[in-house]
Amino acid sequence: MNPFAMVLADLRALRWTAAAIVALVALAVAVGVAIGAQERALRQSSAAAADDFSLLIGAPGSQTQLLMSTVYLQLDAIPLMEGSVLQSLARDERVAAFAPIAFGDVTRGYPIIGTTAAFATRWGRVAPSEGRLFAREGEALIGADVDYRLGESITPSHGVAGQTHKPGEEAEDEAGHRHAGHDHTIVGRLPPLGSPWDRAILVPIESVWEVHGLGNGHAQGIESIGPPFDGVPVPGVPAIVVKPRSVAGAYALRSQYRQGGTMAFFPAEVLVGIYRSLGDARGVLVFASTLNATLVLASILLLLIAVTGLRRRRYAVLRAMGAPRLYVLLVIWIGMALLMALGCITGLLLGGAAAGVLSGLIEAQTGLRLAISLDKPEFLQIGLLFVIGTVLSLLPAVASFASPIASGLRD
Amino acid sequence: MTLDHRGGDGRPFRVLDIPELTVPSGAHIGLRGPSGSGKTSLLHLIAGLIVPSAGKVSWGETEVSSLSPSSRDRWRLSTLGFVFQDFHLIPELDILANITLPTTFSSWRVGPAEREHAEIVAARMGLADLRRRTGTLSRGEQQRVAIARAVCRRPAMILADEPTASLDAAHADEVGALLVDAANEAGATLICATHDAALLARLRRRLDIKAATPIMEQAA
Repeated sequence: MNPFAMVLADLRALRWTAAAIVALVALAVAVGVAIGAQERALRQSSAAAADDFSLLIGAPGSQTQLLMSTVYLQLDAIPLMEGSVLQSLARDERVAAFAPIAFGDVTRGYPIIGTTAAFATRWGRVAPSEGRLFAREGEALIGADVDYRLGESITPSHGVAGQTHKPGEEAEDEAGHRHAGHDHTIVGRLPPLGSPWDRAILVPIESVWEVHGLGNGHAQGIESIGPPFDGVPVPGVPAIVVKPRSVAGAYALRSQYRQGGTMAFFPAEVLVGIYRSLGDARGVLVFASTLNATLVLASILLLLIAVTGLRRRRYAVLRAMGAPRLYVLLVIWIGMALLMALGCITGLLLGGAAAGVLSGLIEAQTGLRLAISLDKPEFLQIGLLFVIGTVLSLLPAVASFASPIASGLRD
Repeated sequence: MTLDHRGGDGRPFRVLDIPELTVPSGAHIGLRGPSGSGKTSLLHLIAGLIVPSAGKVSWGETEVSSLSPSSRDRWRLSTLGFVFQDFHLIPELDILANITLPTTFSSWRVGPAEREHAEIVAARMGLADLRRRTGTLSRGEQQRVAIARAVCRRPAMILADEPTASLDAAHADEVGALLVDAANEAGATLICATHDAALLARLRRRLDIKAATPIMEQAA
């Protein structure tokens, strides 16, 4: 038995209908794949960006706001907490490492973040890809995507809350808020982290304090950078990242710093809440894409019932010439399977491309790098569409087997 | 053997009522009768495309009417060639592919010997350039392809349903002659339903079929 001659004939006969089936399937698959891959990529990338931020401490306020400001650098006016927290953390045995994070200044739209050299390397996880770490005040380390060259000098401007900055472009009022006499020289560049921090300019926390006339946070006469911060008093900071020694310690620190003028939380717990609302939105999207796939299947089925109806006589003729039922079924199934497979592959490519374009837009907006990948759910979805579509296409033929061949010849 | 149908008004009609009909092997029989008299139904009964309401249809020792559907498919493929009034070719395939199509029902490849035989049969039918798609052929040519398809596998029996009815007189004569010659060469039994006097004249025996008769409805 070799049904391929008839499959070829059927596909030639379908021509535009075949193109329509491929296009419909491709569209359904593309929408499903794009939504699924995009949503997963957003979740994974945003979670990965928060990886080095085990525990965040800040002044009481909105946890989401503090998370968005420190992890995703969606800068906002954040209240400061007492700098003495830095000193108590330095004495705490449960703390493996900690780093203050201060923000507010910009240059050419890039946020300038004050922190320690240890956190700039993500607790030693990364090393500068060019140059070196900052070693004294007045030196700066730039993220992978920052459009400055090593050796260039930058002047921070005071950022205005609620103002949106386009990275790489100097806003009009930047010039008006420049901190004169506080230039930084770029001494190094970090490798890409895939997070918004790729667009940040990192400077010693002491520089940020000094720029704002708060001293350098150290005892009189000490010009070194980094902990211990033993100034009297230590200037306030908007956020502190803490790396606890143990899980138990992490929970103890979290509850301790939830009192007495600070709040403390794990970024993961805030992300879970965000993902939950994202998940609700995803539910709507999944429902929409399921509906979309169902409609596509229904229209394909209607197309095929119409086509098979027109072909009833053709298949009856084959039977009258001695073709077994299996031959007729194979002709129909292979033809449909080819069209569906072509549609699924086209849809995968289209969906992948659409997700890629979408992540490009999201990265341009937020600096979050989304790695699009196709995973089990997408393939499962496509497999299901393929199986249901091809099996449904056999129904009209199977139904026709119930009546004698001669009745098909008469139509 | 009888065959009943329900008419449009729901009343059963006896389409055919044939006490007994024996066709000797190799006979050429012309079926004639008015439209609706059951010529096509008789051909379909013989081919096993429908089963009789009562009675049986046998081919030699094989009782075709009581075979399972799949054995009947196999029997039909190995025994029959069918020529239809409207040719029923696959217009998207070329002449050669149409002639060899029945071979693909049972085997994966059309062997070189079969292909060569198909080409010889096509040449005898006066068909040139076998790469042409049959959708582009004239009606006379299409029916010659249909006959070539029916006789190519050397069937023991050829059934033809009004093979010349949709052709003009010149083509009808040519096709009729080719059909009878092909049956002769294959030594096949030929049963041909037709109104065409010229074609009937070529067939050695003729069978008249009377119009359908209504059945007395039985009280339920």
